[in-house]
Amino acid sequence: MSSTHAGTAEATGTAQSAGDDVVFSVRNLWKVFGPKAEKIPGNAEYADLSVEELRARTGCTAAVRDVSFDVRKGEVFVVMGLSGSGKSTLVRCLTRLIEPTSGSLAIDGEDVLAMDKGRLRELRRHRAAMVFQHFGLLPHRTVLDNVAYGLEIQGMGKSERRAKAAEVVAKVGLQGLENRRPGQLSGGQQQRVGLARALAVDPEVLLFDEPFSALDPLIRRDMQEEVCRLHDEEGRTMVFITHDLSEALRIGDRIALMRDGRVVQMGTPEEIVGSPADDYVRDFVRDVPREQVMTARTAMRPPVGDEAEQGASVAPGVTVSEAIEAVVRTGGVVRVVDNGRCLGVVDHQGLLAVVAGLGADFPAATGATGTSAGAGVPRPDAATGTTGEVIPA
Amino acid sequence: MNRTQLTRTTAARAAIASSAVLGLLALSGCGAAETGRSTEAGGTKTVSLTVPSWVGAQANVAVASYLLKKEMGYTVKSQQMGEVLAWDALSKGDIDAIMEDWGHPKEEKQYVENKKTVVKGGDLGVTGHIGWFVPKYYADKHPDVTDWKNLNKYAKDFATVESGGKGQILEGSPDYVTYDEALIKNLKLNLKPKFAGSEASQITAIRKYAKEKKPFLTYWWNPQWLNNEIEMVEVKLPEYKEGCDADLKKIACAYPNTPLQKFFNKDFAKDGGDAATFLKNFKWTTDQQNDVALMIADQKLSPEAAAEKWVKANESTWKAWIPKK
Amino acid sequence: MTAPTISATARDQREKPSPADGRPAPAGKFRTVLHHRAGRKLLPLAVAVLVLLPLGAALWGGGGWPAAQTVDVSGPLDDANDWVLDNRDTHPLFLYFLLHLSNSATSAVDAVYAGLAQLGWVGVTAGAVLLAWRAGGLGRSGLKVAATALAAFAVCGALGMWDPTLMTIALMIVAVAAASLVGVVLGLAAGLSDRFDRILRPVLDTMQVLPAFAYLLPFVLVFGTGTPAALLCTVIYAAPPMARLTALGMRGADAGVLEAATSLGSNGWQRLRTARLPLARKEMLLGLNQTIMMALSMVVIAALVGAGGLGEEVYSALSTVDVGKALAAGIPIVLIAIWLDRTTAAAGDRIGDSASSAAPSGRGRFLHGRWAWALVAAGTVAAAVAGRLAGARLWPEAWTYGISTPVNKAQEWITENLSSGVPVLGGTEVWSQNFTLWVLNPLHDGLTWLPWWALLLLVAGVAWLVGTWGTALTATLAMAGIGVLGVWDKSLNTLSQVLAALVVTLVIGFAVGIMAARARRFERVVRPVLDAMQTMPQFVYLIPVVALFGVTRASAIIAAVVYALPAVIRITTQGLREVDPAAMEASRSLGAGSRQQLLQVQLPLARPALQLAVNQGVVLVLAVVVVGGLVGGGALGYDVVKGLSRGEMGIGMTAGAAIVCLGLVLDRLTQPAKARARKGA
Repeated sequence: MSSTHAGTAEATGTAQSAGDDVVFSVRNLWKVFGPKAEKIPGNAEYADLSVEELRARTGCTAAVRDVSFDVRKGEVFVVMGLSGSGKSTLVRCLTRLIEPTSGSLAIDGEDVLAMDKGRLRELRRHRAAMVFQHFGLLPHRTVLDNVAYGLEIQGMGKSERRAKAAEVVAKVGLQGLENRRPGQLSGGQQQRVGLARALAVDPEVLLFDEPFSALDPLIRRDMQEEVCRLHDEEGRTMVFITHDLSEALRIGDRIALMRDGRVVQMGTPEEIVGSPADDYVRDFVRDVPREQVMTARTAMRPPVGDEAEQGASVAPGVTVSEAIEAVVRTGGVVRVVDNGRCLGVVDHQGLLAVVAGLGADFPAATGATGTSAGAGVPRPDAATGTTGEVIPA
Repeated sequence: MNRTQLTRTTAARAAIASSAVLGLLALSGCGAAETGRSTEAGGTKTVSLTVPSWVGAQANVAVASYLLKKEMGYTVKSQQMGEVLAWDALSKGDIDAIMEDWGHPKEEKQYVENKKTVVKGGDLGVTGHIGWFVPKYYADKHPDVTDWKNLNKYAKDFATVESGGKGQILEGSPDYVTYDEALIKNLKLNLKPKFAGSEASQITAIRKYAKEKKPFLTYWWNPQWLNNEIEMVEVKLPEYKEGCDADLKKIACAYPNTPLQKFFNKDFAKDGGDAATFLKNFKWTTDQQNDVALMIADQKLSPEAAAEKWVKANESTWKAWIPKK
Repeated sequence: MTAPTISATARDQREKPSPADGRPAPAGKFRTVLHHRAGRKLLPLAVAVLVLLPLGAALWGGGGWPAAQTVDVSGPLDDANDWVLDNRDTHPLFLYFLLHLSNSATSAVDAVYAGLAQLGWVGVTAGAVLLAWRAGGLGRSGLKVAATALAAFAVCGALGMWDPTLMTIALMIVAVAAASLVGVVLGLAAGLSDRFDRILRPVLDTMQVLPAFAYLLPFVLVFGTGTPAALLCTVIYAAPPMARLTALGMRGADAGVLEAATSLGSNGWQRLRTARLPLARKEMLLGLNQTIMMALSMVVIAALVGAGGLGEEVYSALSTVDVGKALAAGIPIVLIAIWLDRTTAAAGDRIGDSASSAAPSGRGRFLHGRWAWALVAAGTVAAAVAGRLAGARLWPEAWTYGISTPVNKAQEWITENLSSGVPVLGGTEVWSQNFTLWVLNPLHDGLTWLPWWALLLLVAGVAWLVGTWGTALTATLAMAGIGVLGVWDKSLNTLSQVLAALVVTLVIGFAVGIMAARARRFERVVRPVLDAMQTMPQFVYLIPVVALFGVTRASAIIAAVVYALPAVIRITTQGLREVDPAAMEASRSLGAGSRQQLLQVQLPLARPALQLAVNQGVVLVLAVVVVGGLVGGGALGYDVVKGLSRGEMGIGMTAGAAIVCLGLVLDRLTQPAKARARKGA
């Protein structure tokens, strides 16, 4: 895959399309707030300063610092980081709700930063729709009219947009509530309205800005499933901002982990958890229930003797916890079989090593570390040849 | 952030621009505006009269309005305003007639002689007189108070906390013709004017004094309906002679007797038809005016009701005013 | 006589900063003093005073403002007036702009009045009631508002004031429509543009300080008396709250919603129409409410410059000293105020609710939205037609009741029995005399005794202590402006009255406010009285005041106190009520008595509200000095009345400008910098 290394190798500031399947292509993006912000990006003098030092020196705050990534068609791309890490600014830069300071940005190969007002509005109206943390619903309008709002802005006639909105309302499970006003809905229902509003314009990309962080844990879970379901049904490209690691791991195909405006690691959930790029990430993922994220592929070792020929088998994509169940049931070694070919075997020791987080250092798990080519990913739809991209700081 | 700000300022600019356009539109309008009177509009015959603040003049307007309406089929609009402002409105044509004027030489010169927008309407028949008055109960006790030379002797009787040791002379509305301050100075009187600020305050104060039988000195005039309720005696000031009021700074004589005048808007006088003739003919006596004024002020009848009552009782008087067909 | 005055003003000066620096510092702790905000300023101030006092004494000596340093503005103003009179019919400025304005004002009011008259009393009442019901909603609250409207109009008719009421409503409709339009346009511009906001805000702040009467003269100068002048000054007077609140609503709009709208690709106009304006609806309705109230008070005052309607009735009742008739015309004004206030407030509440009420469907739909408006219109027309068929256009004579005679009798009885000879208490006249002798005269003498430059220093010092350099500069310049205008002595006379009135207002206001805050039942009794006091035209109570207190400055002060008191009481009560309950609970748990609670917790915590009450008190007291001129207050108020009634612009405008300057001085002296920042927010 030639495109795989685009992020690291070709970080030269061109916004060329890196392939047909890339929706968003972001290169060396900066967003600096403050006086003379344009002097900060690319200036070697400031490159190594921390956010606080930079602010002390220049009075500027760098919210996004030299970020590059691609979002591929049909994937769920999660940007994760703690508050203040610049992730919300980043997602707003994608449709220029916040004007980036420097760098390049393309959607389907078209330079976003070069767009004039009309073209930009076109982008926002039809190609990328956003779901907000605090919903951003119009309190004086009914659910139906809120959902139809984007279509109204496009200039669609009243009856047509209402009919279309009604379909979407049904899709997100809000039937019967069409005539309520946002104030009468629960937080989860309100966010469904926000989601429906974004879906109604049938955008190419859905942008989510911490959409569920204002919701109760149970409802958050529901909504996450809702998003997964929608994604499974429609395969729409999504960029998802969150500060919640478990959420990122649950719904993300790929995750970019941000800290102080930079992307510190980018990769599949398994790669992030299985081989953290630095201590910060390691710290971050320490409490993750690894058996839920890591797959049997990570835990397996080469078969010894006749282990490859007989006994129970699991797919390489099953989670470690599922593999443990299989191992416990059989009482011995379980084969990892992919399309009838035995890739290796898992046993007590290997699985426990993964759960214990010993990972690559542990002898039993040799050959199954995250950076090796051909490592599996948990989702079938994005399973082909992904490599962890560790963006150099 | 920049983005939203950007669109914000554009929108603001648009708003400012559009308001400027609105203003320009209003400014350019559709040519020169009408300045004249619009009283003939719609074919209804309308007469506008000013209603001064004192009751005597209200009596004139009440009777004139009643007759114009009931006997001659006019619509009458009346508007209350200060005297000087009424002159201005008369000149503009906002009102057609002033029924009772106590003498405004400056305005008369400006509008009648210079601009020629106002014409004289003849005598009202009532003679007005302004002067200084003390209550009768006090004058009875101190008969010599009615000569101005003795005022300083009694000044302490008129003193109040407001006048600071001097005698207080009560003044009325700022609207009224007065040169008391110059008089006090020129006659070397130990008095200080207290401006009541409105006729209502002055009347209330006088009533209050009268009720308590306290001495007081006030600027006052006749005809005035209150004179029927509270008897007052005039203090004789140095006699009025023609021209003694020429220089208001050096004035040292009494107020003249004023035959009250009517004034009309020039166009109304010319084109006002029967209404103008009727108002020119309108002439009655001090007593007749006082009758109506008393009904309004003392019996609290509405001006219209008072006028009706008077008209019913005095047909011979007003029949002569109405032009023969 | 002078000694107590000086110490009074000096104490005044020392007390003013104390709210800013918290508790008074113990004498020994000089350092602590220096660490307080105002304390830090005291030292340089003391030095400045020590240097400047001898300097001023040596340079200028004592006495009032030097005549050499005045500029006679009345001459040019009179010239301007003459110019206007001479050129009104010929100059293009008039022909192509001002006369258009004037004519369209007149014809608009005439047209609305004619329309209302065509509807007849049945139609107008039905319209008002339906409107109120529409605004109040379907539930009980709607019915209540509708009932209020019905009662208000019935009483207006029953008092025999139907026609003037219609005229006032016609004036109100045109004035409020124009003021709202102006306000919304300005508010939109200020809401969208930071620069415009920065320009507009101080203008609005200043306009808020100006007494209503100060607006009248310039309009009379240009338009003469009559409907146009009355209407336009009402519009100018009433537009600021709309502008202020529209801008506030624009600026306070939920940024998230706007961002969402932007993210969907809306352009500026779409955002304004679909998000910004709807989101600001509640503020704008509040602005409308305030605009209506201000317009109503101005429409009444504008009777002085020829506005017809109820104001004229009140004013003309004065000439026959007919309190009953004045009251009969004043009550409808209060009732109109109540009707409009309740109606707009109900509409505002409903907007608040609409976020949580389901949009109706099916049959209920006909009682909402466009349908309801159509229903209101249809109902009004139907009622009007029915009324016309029944031959009733004017309110039936038989259904009126004259309250004039009984009210006058009652008034006479009261004034006769209270004014003097009351055992022990002495009666109002005695009070008035004592007040003049022992408070007013010394205060006035003290102010005039002070050399002019010392007074300027005093103003500058106090303003600096209370606020910032900017505050001090504005206040001092305004004070110097009074001197330059050549009305120094008259202004000091007015100032002494304002200060005396302020003291009385604050003493009574704080006392009643504290009582009302502590006893809800007392507040329930007092509240409607206060509301009526505030909306009742001041002209109505002038005669009783004169009858009780005589033609004195004390009467003017009483008139001012009556006008300013409701606001002071309300703000005090509210401030005390809103004190953090946790702090109250804590002090109770420590066993504080109710007196201790009041002194140690409530009053200190409510200090911002009390400061606001002082500021409002000053502004309101100053607003009625002109009215004071009508009852013997003399000084600036009398000059304004004189200018208005005689058309002597020179005198009137000079006095008006001096009142404005006094207003600025007093406002700056009583408004801490922080509060001003908040007020704008």
